[in-house]
Amino acid sequence: MSTITAQQQQQQQQQPPPLSGLHVLELAGLAPGPFTGLLLADYGASVLRIDRPAGLHPSVPTPDNLTRRKSSLALSLKSTRGLALFLHLVASTDILLDPYRPGVLEKLGLSPSTLLRINPRLIIARLTGFRRDGRYKDMAGHDINYIALAGVLAMLGRKDSKPYAPANLIGDFAGGGMTCFVGVLLALIHRGVSGQGQVVEANMVDGAAYLASMPRFAVQGPMWNAARGENVLDGGCPWYDTYETKDGGFVAVGCLEEKFYDAFVRGLGVGDELVQERMNRKNWDGLRRIFTERFKEKTRAEWEAVFDGTDACVTPVLGFDEMKKRGHKMRPVVDLSLSPGLAMHTNEKGQGEGIEGGGFEAKGLVPGVGGEKVLRDWLGLEKGTHYVVADDGGYELRDGSENKAKL
Amino acid sequence: MAPLSTVRVIELAGLAPGPFAGMLLSDLGATVLRIDRPDPFAHTDQAVPTKDLLARGKSSIALDLKLNSSRVLLKSLLATVVDVLIDPFRPGVLESLDLAPNTLLAANPRLIIARLTGFRRDGKYSSRAGHDINYLGVSGVLSQLGRKDQPPYPPANLMGDFAGGGLACAFGILTALYTRAMDGKGQVVEVNMVDGVSYLATMMRLGLNVPMWDQPRGENYFDGGCPWYDVYECMDGRYMAVGAVEPKFFEELLKGLELDVEWLSRRSDRTQWAPLRAELQVAFRKKTREQWEDIFDHKDACCSPVIDIGELKSQAYDQRHLVHFSKTPGVTLGQNAGWNAQTLAPGNGGERTLKDWMGWQIGKDFEVENGALVKLISSNSKL
Repeated sequence: MSTITAQQQQQQQQQPPPLSGLHVLELAGLAPGPFTGLLLADYGASVLRIDRPAGLHPSVPTPDNLTRRKSSLALSLKSTRGLALFLHLVASTDILLDPYRPGVLEKLGLSPSTLLRINPRLIIARLTGFRRDGRYKDMAGHDINYIALAGVLAMLGRKDSKPYAPANLIGDFAGGGMTCFVGVLLALIHRGVSGQGQVVEANMVDGAAYLASMPRFAVQGPMWNAARGENVLDGGCPWYDTYETKDGGFVAVGCLEEKFYDAFVRGLGVGDELVQERMNRKNWDGLRRIFTERFKEKTRAEWEAVFDGTDACVTPVLGFDEMKKRGHKMRPVVDLSLSPGLAMHTNEKGQGEGIEGGGFEAKGLVPGVGGEKVLRDWLGLEKGTHYVVADDGGYELRDGSENKAKL
Repeated sequence: MAPLSTVRVIELAGLAPGPFAGMLLSDLGATVLRIDRPDPFAHTDQAVPTKDLLARGKSSIALDLKLNSSRVLLKSLLATVVDVLIDPFRPGVLESLDLAPNTLLAANPRLIIARLTGFRRDGKYSSRAGHDINYLGVSGVLSQLGRKDQPPYPPANLMGDFAGGGLACAFGILTALYTRAMDGKGQVVEVNMVDGVSYLATMMRLGLNVPMWDQPRGENYFDGGCPWYDVYECMDGRYMAVGAVEPKFFEELLKGLELDVEWLSRRSDRTQWAPLRAELQVAFRKKTREQWEDIFDHKDACCSPVIDIGELKSQAYDQRHLVHFSKTPGVTLGQNAGWNAQTLAPGNGGERTLKDWMGWQIGKDFEVENGALVKLISSNSKL
């Protein structure tokens, strides 16, 4: 039988991941830069992380855990021959990820204008925490500092308690890494038309602020004009919050619309006057008490049985461990019908066989792993002929190899 | 020139994530036409703006998609001049309106159809109603956020609606535009906020087996558990944000606060976190936020003010584009664009867009009927 299934047919029509063939140099950093590199790699680009030399036979991965599908090359940008090898790579690179503070690249003699002269098609994506101008530009900081300046942190947190930063999700990953990736895609689109690369700058202050456009606009209206923790979506509203269940689990309730709220109240099995007059904010404390007590009467699984299949906007709050145990499989952020990204798990969305550890475990990347293959694949460079390894483990271009290698 | 200045987008009206993707494309130069539901005042001066706060740069027409005469107008646009369709509906809705992706792609193989849902399009929640908090809940991310001994706390609707939803949708569209530039083919782009948010939390999830993240909610390094990564109240009731992760930055913090630098050697011992937090709390209360800013500005202590939106606005802080480009900057935003919502009434500006895109004119090619546009059959359109 040679029946072609619909799935096979679809696979036959599939094209490689959208960024296949692109070469990316990722200057090693932590969190946002590697996250941009991860997105590029998951959508098919060849990503080479540039690490500092870590000795002749390093065996320990760096702390970076966003290394899926990446290779590493150790080289010192401060050594002449290391820099020469780097510049050699730049000539064959589509995207350079610069996660350093303003001025660092320039100090290394790698200012964007120099790099663009070497390779006018190069897209230089520069990602900082603070803006590249203004009073904080040279200051060290982390996600919590960036979202604080964006006006975002002041909006988050429970009533009568200090602001609460949602880990490093909004700065490092949403307003930083993913935003930088968006910038790279736009520059790629432009390069397709003009043939020219350019400098793309993202910073987490503006990234976070842009993401918060709607909340910022909404503070002028009833949805968001109360103090922190007293609004509809920030934990103030009793039908948009999490509740503990009898077994110590949690459910998330988000029934904003009246018909969904009605379904919620029906499922909860409470229905007095207070519950009906939800729009009066004076009732919110009372409502919260009712909901809190009621949810404690059943386990999370029991509540799931009540609410699954209804439009009450009640879902369990699942832990990652639990999801893994249940066999949940992670997927690429965006599913493209014609040119999907690479799969994380076998037989899941995306193309390819998936990766070891799926979307739940990472091995990290040891400096130097896979780098020699990339040098061969990208540039046809061979160890000994074109490059050597210095005593500190740093890779260096051999004297006179500039001309031998196909620049 | 803005990078998407030749791109034409149709956004089926929704709230939050879909409009966010549309606004982002519009800010980057795309022309975005929002399709509103029928409204008695649509296409008149009396039309009232909808609740959508993210309508910057867009125009609107009202259509009754349940009516063939109205739907055919949309189909004409999608079959000819449109590059991107944003579908924010639950699975199956587009299909029930006879606008299935296959049909649309058959008519216009270059079309990019971006479909954005909250839950996955498959699995137990696929046809259920939900909001950001629910998507976060089943993504695994919400279980990680919140203070110790408190229920999980969602960061408003930032993670689902805007980051894992709207921004992810925009990047899907860009990826498809990039592919199309090479092979001429459009495709279906599917985004859901569960997978979007899960992906954003990759580092956290992959780190759950290392000391940074292996404790219960609210007791880890970045989730409020760690005293040098948190917010502190100052004398005047305002706040400073501390993110002094690296030892050298933490040392600067201690010096600035005039605390014992001995803490540096003890800080990794979690049993010391409570007393350290207590000392930091007392120290920060000794000065106003402004005084602390004077001390910590230009120091590498990772200590910065928590500024609220009202304050930023009163400082005339300039809101900027998401990304800055050296050659292809986004469209110029008005002075107040980052502060005040630009809303849009059904029908506003849309007739102009129809003229620009199709050369259509009211009375000749289309007509307003019961608060929605209908296509005139007799029209000599360039279909």
